[in-house]
Amino acid sequence: MSTALSVVVDATLITLILALAAFGLAIIYGLVGVINMGHGAMLTLGAYLTWAATTAGLPFVISIFLAAAGVAVIGLLLEHIVIRSFYDRPFDTLLLTWGFFLVSTEVIKIVFGTDLRNVANPVPGAFDLGGIQIPAYRTMIAGCSLLLIAGSALVFFYTALGIKIRALIQNREMASLLGLDVSRMYKLVFVTGSFMAGLAGALISPMLSVDPYIGNIFLVRSFFVVIIGGIGHLLGGTLIGSFLIGGSETLFALFSGQVFAQTAVFAVAIVVLRFRPHGVLRSG
Amino acid sequence: MKKNNSGKIIQITRRSALKGMATTAGVAAVSLAAPGIIRRASAADPIKVGVISPLTGAWTVYGKAHSAGFELAVDEINAAGGVLGRKFEIILGDSKTEPRIVVEQANRLIRQERVDFLAGTFSSAERNAAGPVVTSANKILLYPTFYEGQEKEYYPGVCNKNMFMFGPEPTQQVWPHLEYMMNKFGKKFFMIGSDYAWPRVTNQVTKRRLLELGGEVVGEVYIPFNTPQYESVLRDIRASGANIIFHTLTGSDTVNFRLQYTAAGMKKDFVLWTVDDEEVVTSGLGPDVSAGDYVSFDYFMSIENPNNTAFLKRFRAKFGKDALMNTVGVAMYNAAHMAAMAIEKTGEVSTDALREGLKDIEFENGPQGKVRMRGLDHQMVLPSYLMRVRKGWTGVNDMFEEIQSFPSVEPLDARCQLPL
Amino acid sequence: MKQRTLKHRSLLGTTPGDLLFSEPGAALIVFAILALLPVFFSGYMIYILPQYMLFGVLAMSLGLLWGFAGLVSFGQAGFFALGAYTMGLSMKSGGGIIDPAYLGLLLSLVVGGILAAAVGYFLFSAGVRGTYFVLVTLALSIMLEQIAVSQSQITGGWNGMFIDRMSLNLGPFGKISLFDDAPMYYVILPAVAIIYVILYTITVTRFGKILNGIRENEDRLISLGFNASLYKTGVFAISGAVACFAGALYGTHANFVAPSLAGVLFSTEVVVWVAIGGRGSLLGVLLGGILVASFSNYLSAITPEYWQLVLGLLFVAVLLYFRGGVAGAVAQLVNARRAK
Repeated sequence: MSTALSVVVDATLITLILALAAFGLAIIYGLVGVINMGHGAMLTLGAYLTWAATTAGLPFVISIFLAAAGVAVIGLLLEHIVIRSFYDRPFDTLLLTWGFFLVSTEVIKIVFGTDLRNVANPVPGAFDLGGIQIPAYRTMIAGCSLLLIAGSALVFFYTALGIKIRALIQNREMASLLGLDVSRMYKLVFVTGSFMAGLAGALISPMLSVDPYIGNIFLVRSFFVVIIGGIGHLLGGTLIGSFLIGGSETLFALFSGQVFAQTAVFAVAIVVLRFRPHGVLRSG
Repeated sequence: MKKNNSGKIIQITRRSALKGMATTAGVAAVSLAAPGIIRRASAADPIKVGVISPLTGAWTVYGKAHSAGFELAVDEINAAGGVLGRKFEIILGDSKTEPRIVVEQANRLIRQERVDFLAGTFSSAERNAAGPVVTSANKILLYPTFYEGQEKEYYPGVCNKNMFMFGPEPTQQVWPHLEYMMNKFGKKFFMIGSDYAWPRVTNQVTKRRLLELGGEVVGEVYIPFNTPQYESVLRDIRASGANIIFHTLTGSDTVNFRLQYTAAGMKKDFVLWTVDDEEVVTSGLGPDVSAGDYVSFDYFMSIENPNNTAFLKRFRAKFGKDALMNTVGVAMYNAAHMAAMAIEKTGEVSTDALREGLKDIEFENGPQGKVRMRGLDHQMVLPSYLMRVRKGWTGVNDMFEEIQSFPSVEPLDARCQLPL
Repeated sequence: MKQRTLKHRSLLGTTPGDLLFSEPGAALIVFAILALLPVFFSGYMIYILPQYMLFGVLAMSLGLLWGFAGLVSFGQAGFFALGAYTMGLSMKSGGGIIDPAYLGLLLSLVVGGILAAAVGYFLFSAGVRGTYFVLVTLALSIMLEQIAVSQSQITGGWNGMFIDRMSLNLGPFGKISLFDDAPMYYVILPAVAIIYVILYTITVTRFGKILNGIRENEDRLISLGFNASLYKTGVFAISGAVACFAGALYGTHANFVAPSLAGVLFSTEVVVWVAIGGRGSLLGVLLGGILVASFSNYLSAITPEYWQLVLGLLFVAVLLYFRGGVAGAVAQLVNARRAK
């Protein structure tokens, strides 16, 4: 019995952490249509900036927000210098953001070196739930993930800004005729997505080894989360996508090796993509 | 002091690399000037050693100690006047942690730089990639890393008469300490490792002795590289009722697993024994995560003997007081000195002479104590230390406390056509 | 005199002067230089150049896809590694009735072609877009790498697999050993040249023209009655077969293959070569692969960190300012001079 319970707990934690990692990507992809191949580098940057800030003696909570803000600034620069003239060419933005990934990974190596770093776990320990131990920090991140997504839902559905953004996705020309500053909205979305990526990297940093490749672990998984969840289904889609990717990996791993589980999840994701190119939430 | 020394080596590399660039330019049919390639070696010419280290890529963390060990030894050899009146010259190749690049670099060093022998490569895959190259070019490779031991089926990556193994294998690194660990903590082992040959073979060899001693393996999992989540593995470990977690994860996965293992509050319920985490990785783990874990190797920076004290003094003078050394760097150090002794002994710089010279050679000044290269299977006879990571350690000097040690452990004979 | 010029024009569609400046003309010169190099040089350069030429072929497999059909694959290295493993397994098997090396080369074409055709048809027939195609090929190369790692009893796992150097089996006339550098060079160079000619021919045939049409405006081609997904599947299959074949030759040349050859890092390196070389020109792409790989090897000894950074910046600069890459810039320069 406790096995079943612990599988549920594991799957929930994995789903929420994956959703957190993928959320910045979902925002940028879903709202402005840019496949941000630099997403992994943004996660990595968030983790390194957190490491730098905590090493400088700042409290963890302040560090993660500084890190996220730092990544947002870099996202702003990227958008302003490169991306903004390419919004109508998704293919070029894909390659350009990949270029951003290549460059920023090298800059990270030069600036921070390649030694293994770690960020001290701010909430050590675990608590007991019906006989199974649940790591406190992971639970906290899962909570943060839910809060962020729920908070974004509030902004998206209940504020003037959210209405503008939704108008923008639905019809760009119409939005601009209505007097919305489209390019500013795009910039805002891109920066928000970068901020979320940086925040995710910062929050994940105490769980993983901080190295120049930390973000890559989540890159392809995050893409499948977004694609399977469905573009534009920012909130439900991200959660469902995360559940299908992360949860099914947990299930596969129950019956097979971990390597096979990862391969199988990718295969399943490709098949889903084939039959539901617009995500599982939308038919056809 | 530090600058001058390392500057010299970089300069050498730069010059040879520039020569290489000129050759590339030939590809573009611009021009080519590669003088001095067909020059007869004279007594004053240096003995050239090609060193292949992971300077960039995923295992850069290990690369520094790896090349530093060899550089330090070469400085010492040259300061003492070289060998047969000739100095050693290092030509460095970056493996980028990629077997594909090892093939390129090994060929470059042998064919273009005309090195007399090779040292280095880091992982088993890198060594295997170099295997066919050193076999066909008939050059010696001195391999420094702790590894899975030699099995015939992996020839020419092992069981190769042109390769000499300076690092420990499982019968030296694990077997000597099994009895102690089982008596102290229990007979049930849970094995977790990265999914490749070193962890798999190490576990297989460990299991053999474990079963002889009446132990039991209650779980065995292999994790793909770059796995971020360990929930299900941690659950399996908890459910298995294991006494000891036998740990052969490598690289960043070591850190990922241990952070999450610690966060799950499992440290108090299990004993963890790792055969991968030397000074560099343990530094990366930090004191909270690593405290109380057991580690076994042939060398630790904190072992106390006059050789090591003197060695670390020279090492820190050259590379700075915070530089990290480890088993692999020390193996590279021993490899350089023992090659120099072998050349001195035979009076000749050639592959055959070096091979004969290295057989059964003893090195008194190894940082881990006296060491010997077996002629039979080219495997080093080394000490073996079992250490526990100290609670609240602050640096490499107080990182490990010695539990038990054996000054000289003979490995099991290599599973090859012997003698090599 | 005038007549002769006209004759040439009708024969090749160009004047001799044009030919010199056209891509096949430039290719002729490049291959002639490559053919002469072993006469003047020996040693490492002659050893390593065939490997870089095969990287060039790998780049061409992507160049065909990207430059002519507008599809970018982040998984070409997966096919390359698949070819190397196919070669290794075939050499191990002994080959049966035909020479194991030939079997390996043949199988690599078949395996690469079929895998690419299957994946391509599966995706394109459902109208999966170019951007998703990138992600699927990225996942494909990760999956191939993971399979190579996990099926260790077949592939040797992460420690890799040894592959013997092939010999040129001439049937009743015996065998020519390719153990030495020069013979191997003169086997791989013509293979590369033949692949270049085949791919170039494809781009100028009707098939190539239709691919161009798909790249420019897929919907229009579909409305004209073309089955675009079939053409896209076709070009991906060719690309996969070529990459796999090059990988087979690479395997027997390098004598070794490990799973990371299939990995994302190498796959995306190929994308960088193609972008810098110039996706619109197969020759540019071929040279891009050869030269960027050469410079990566040599410059990495001097400034490992900065070289990667420079390459990344160059990639971005090409995407932003020289969409035709080096080949495109050269073509522009030549045209501008000839226009004067």
